[in-house]
Amino acid sequence: MKLLTGLALLGTTAALSACGSLGTGEYGYSDYGLVHVTRVNVGDGQMSVVAPRPYNRHRRILFSDVRDVEDWTLNGPILDGISFVSGMNNNRELIRQRRTADQQVPRFRSDMTPPEITAMLESLYRVKGGAVDLKTLSLQPRPFLGANGFQWDYEHLDQDELWRRGRAVGAVIDGKLYMILLDAARSHYYDAELPDFEAIVASAQRRG
Amino acid sequence: MLFGGAAAAASLHTGVADARIRPEDMVPLIGPGFRPTEKDEMGLWKEMDRAEEEISGSNLVIQDPKLEGYLKNIIGTVGGPAAHDFRIYLVRIPDFNAMMFPSGFAVVFSGLLLRMRNEAQLAGVIAHESGHFLRRHMIRSWRDMRRKTDLLAIGSMLAGIGGAGAGVYLGDYVQLAQLGTILSLLQYSRGMEAEADAMGARLMERNDYPPIEMANIWEQLIGEETASARYRGKRRRRGSLFDTHPSEGSRMVDLRADAQELTVAGKAYDSRRQRYLSTIAEIRPTLLDDQVKLNDPGASQYLIETLAQDGWNGLLRFCEGEVWRLRNRPGDALRADQSYAAAIAYPDAPADAWRWHGIALMKQGRAAEAKAAFARYLTMKPDATDAAWVRQMMG
Repeated sequence: MKLLTGLALLGTTAALSACGSLGTGEYGYSDYGLVHVTRVNVGDGQMSVVAPRPYNRHRRILFSDVRDVEDWTLNGPILDGISFVSGMNNNRELIRQRRTADQQVPRFRSDMTPPEITAMLESLYRVKGGAVDLKTLSLQPRPFLGANGFQWDYEHLDQDELWRRGRAVGAVIDGKLYMILLDAARSHYYDAELPDFEAIVASAQRRG
Repeated sequence: MLFGGAAAAASLHTGVADARIRPEDMVPLIGPGFRPTEKDEMGLWKEMDRAEEEISGSNLVIQDPKLEGYLKNIIGTVGGPAAHDFRIYLVRIPDFNAMMFPSGFAVVFSGLLLRMRNEAQLAGVIAHESGHFLRRHMIRSWRDMRRKTDLLAIGSMLAGIGGAGAGVYLGDYVQLAQLGTILSLLQYSRGMEAEADAMGARLMERNDYPPIEMANIWEQLIGEETASARYRGKRRRRGSLFDTHPSEGSRMVDLRADAQELTVAGKAYDSRRQRYLSTIAEIRPTLLDDQVKLNDPGASQYLIETLAQDGWNGLLRFCEGEVWRLRNRPGDALRADQSYAAAIAYPDAPADAWRWHGIALMKQGRAAEAKAAFARYLTMKPDATDAAWVRQMMG
């Protein structure tokens, strides 16, 4: 899962050398692939969305290798990102981590309520994203994918001294977590990308 | 710095016997209003002025006039001859650390305030840091290192500061802590740490703080790191000073010996615990929250239990519940709820304890009781940011 300004960049660097062998028919190295304005599957394919304009999909190499999580960005991961969680099963993690790490992001459990899911995300920001402060702006019910879901609005101060703002819309359906999340620099980028995010959320469909 | 590998610097003292440095020998090497006169040190100060400018304007600095004044007062008390020249900044980083920069400004991490049990301990850390400045450790290390390597220039070493200021991404996502990385280049030798310990203990005693608290700080630090590592099934590994020397025990012995030597029989010492607790009372829930949400159950539980030695209360019981809830192993939900249930029996229980208690009851199918707990939560926190969701749960 992106969310991680610094880690994302580290991942970028690490992935550069690996991308040459992707065989996409394009020349040059990039860890981003183009998302066209058409219905596309995200994550492990259990959810599909339509982007209102072309986006950059972060390739899942080395860094973001959790199958049911996918990251997009418009201006680069430091400034903005949209992440998808496409039906994460019980006992799975949002991000790979070593079992011996002192600080860990909690695992997802099927019986989690929205406050527990948002607490899990908060730990993700604090543990993996280096956030030193995170404030919930609101947590409210919101239908998503035809189910009783939630909307969480929040903002966080990261160790790069930048305030970022986010909105997560999600639901637990048949014990699986479906979620779309916008996280962007609080000044300008969040507001600029919110309409895209809402369009993407509105377009979301669950597969079979 | 409390942390900052002394491994490389240890080589500076190869072959030197580890004789204890006595507090009485620790005289400050500078007086009030010190300014550098030599070219290399003037250059270093100039760079540090830029660093200070950036840090003082950072979003991470906690803007709290009461705490700022308190810290300034402490460094003004235990800062020796430079007491009134020091500047001190409190930054929001949930870590056990503090550092003194070569030009005489100190940065204290918020995680330190959480871990100190009284003012004497906080003053001890600040006195230790002041000791590095008063004994001119930074410039001594720096010159020693330059003599040895002759590779580093101040400019390149400090590139990170200018880069961060100019918004250039330099590959380290912890930009403020990056300054700490830079400082670690100015490594202190084992001998210098011992000097700072001795000097710090001496400054504490002079200001009527019990010098034994210096030893207690290190004991708490080791205890926390050991608990954290044990919990994850490994040995303590953090790059603290203790790891780089075989003499972890001997440092403790030295600190205790310092305290014994300095303590004057019949003199009244005061750890000023009450003043400390009342000063940090407002920020303590935030400090605990910052720690607990890192989901480091070993360290968090150790800290909570250490603080609870001064008495359990609703806040600590609530935080204990948070530790179990985030740990999220089989059986932890029940364990967490027991803590929340215990928390709400105290008058100082945070509103969130009621909410989590309500969620636990709801999951157990005890709807009526859950509703009552949620109602209590909303009464205590009418403008709760999640009120809409809670009301939905109440049906």
